[in-house]
Amino acid sequence: MLAIEVRQLVKIYAGKVKALDGVDFTVNAGDIFALLGPNGSGKTTLMRILTTQFKPTSGEAYIFGFDVVKNDAEVRKSISYVPQETSVWTDIIGFENLLIYAKIYGIPSNYREKIIWEALESMSLDAIANNLVKTYSGGMIRRLEIACAMIIKPKLMFLDEPTIGLDPSARKAVWEKLTSFRKEYGTTIFFNTHYMDEADYYSDEIAIMDKGKMVKFGTASELKHSIRREVIQFNLRNHGVNENVLKIIRSMDFVSNVAIHNSELNVVCCGCRDRVT
Amino acid sequence: MRDSLREMFAMIELELRRLKHDRTELYTRAVQPILWLAVYGTVMGHVRAIPTDVIPYLDYITPGVLLQSTIFVSVFYGLTIVWERETGILKKLLVAPASRYATVIGRSIASGVRAIVQAFIIIPVAMLLGVKFVLNPLYFFTAFLILFFVSGGFAAISIFVASIMKTRERFMGIGQALIMPLFFASSALYPIKLMPTALQYFAIFNPLTYAADAVRGLMISGDLTNLLPDVAAIAIFDIVMFTVASISFRKIIE
Repeated sequence: MLAIEVRQLVKIYAGKVKALDGVDFTVNAGDIFALLGPNGSGKTTLMRILTTQFKPTSGEAYIFGFDVVKNDAEVRKSISYVPQETSVWTDIIGFENLLIYAKIYGIPSNYREKIIWEALESMSLDAIANNLVKTYSGGMIRRLEIACAMIIKPKLMFLDEPTIGLDPSARKAVWEKLTSFRKEYGTTIFFNTHYMDEADYYSDEIAIMDKGKMVKFGTASELKHSIRREVIQFNLRNHGVNENVLKIIRSMDFVSNVAIHNSELNVVCCGCRDRVT
Repeated sequence: MRDSLREMFAMIELELRRLKHDRTELYTRAVQPILWLAVYGTVMGHVRAIPTDVIPYLDYITPGVLLQSTIFVSVFYGLTIVWERETGILKKLLVAPASRYATVIGRSIASGVRAIVQAFIIIPVAMLLGVKFVLNPLYFFTAFLILFFVSGGFAAISIFVASIMKTRERFMGIGQALIMPLFFASSALYPIKLMPTALQYFAIFNPLTYAADAVRGLMISGDLTNLLPDVAAIAIFDIVMFTVASISFRKIIE
């Protein structure tokens, strides 16, 4: 069964900017699907159309067979969404955030609290559930947002940069929870990310977007094979990197691209596993 | 429909929980209306500059001040929407099963709840200053319903303004420019017949005029002659504003 089916999707903003330029792809139910691409490539626009926030200019998109434009109410019943920006109320406590969402989604009162505490425990937030969210760290807030998305046990979960701003151990912990959640409930997970290692380790399929088009599509090993390149990711731990070091890396004959994103240095290279020691 | 009602009640609960955790806003926002009553109302009442028939001046302006204070909360509710737009909260709410109309009406009604809590501070202060209220629980309940729905209508205006003014700074300016003219060009502080003719025409189209008249009748004079037309005017105002805000709401997210 297909969780997502997209055909020739186009989105043009204000009649000028073409954010999506004829996107086609499908996602199987139960899969974890990663969407990669540089800023402005159309990843967030695609996600916002699939979550019924925007209407496409043309083309079609279906979530479990429901049209995102014509059957938007049906689509919204089967999905949850974690946007890139903070999406919890910081002036109430963590438990109350989940309670409000549980009520919005109509989780029956007799097992509402049980589900909320399960989600809080699974995200290791139970000890601070009664604290105001404004006292939480960025990582705790992200985990609370994911807990909000989990309580409704959606058939499809959309995560926009789910681990942005988290340190490597927190990222790993979040993904362990997400993969075990997928295993338990069969939830399809569709996520955007800049972290290539996340897409590599956790997704069943990966799509790469650029300038509103889907330029590559396949499993991690298929993509690596097709581009014959690999990416080595270095965690800079907020120390930055000297420009001379970057020049030296760029000058290496097996390196095709070097990019810094947040606190990570990504080196795209060919046969690097054999060359880097 | 059930999804929409659920979201509305959840939004009301959210506002009450927010107030439970931080009541500062409730007290600071009460300062201005208390000054209107304690200083302006008392002084103008002593000099008898404004004829208000048999009703003492302080009693006359109390419903107007109550309304000003509640719509102040509602009009600036749009700021919350602008802030929620800048964060991801609004996006997440729009992905919930309820319709967009429910989100707009739910947020407006929730703002109404937040606004009328203000009345529970102002009424005891007015009583201490000597204002005599009609002691009829049914009248009081009806007056609160009117305050609640008028506040909801003004919250809808603020959502509409927020859809045009997408930054907090722009919104602040418009919010101020909206409240004070409506307040002064209504029967909140003086009878309409004392206004210049042009302003009298404006006051006819001002929802605060009808709200002030209705709340004054229910809480102060006990005269309900105009209650039905007042309620009808408020209902039309709410329906128009909820519709306009719901249509414009899409612009907030795009």
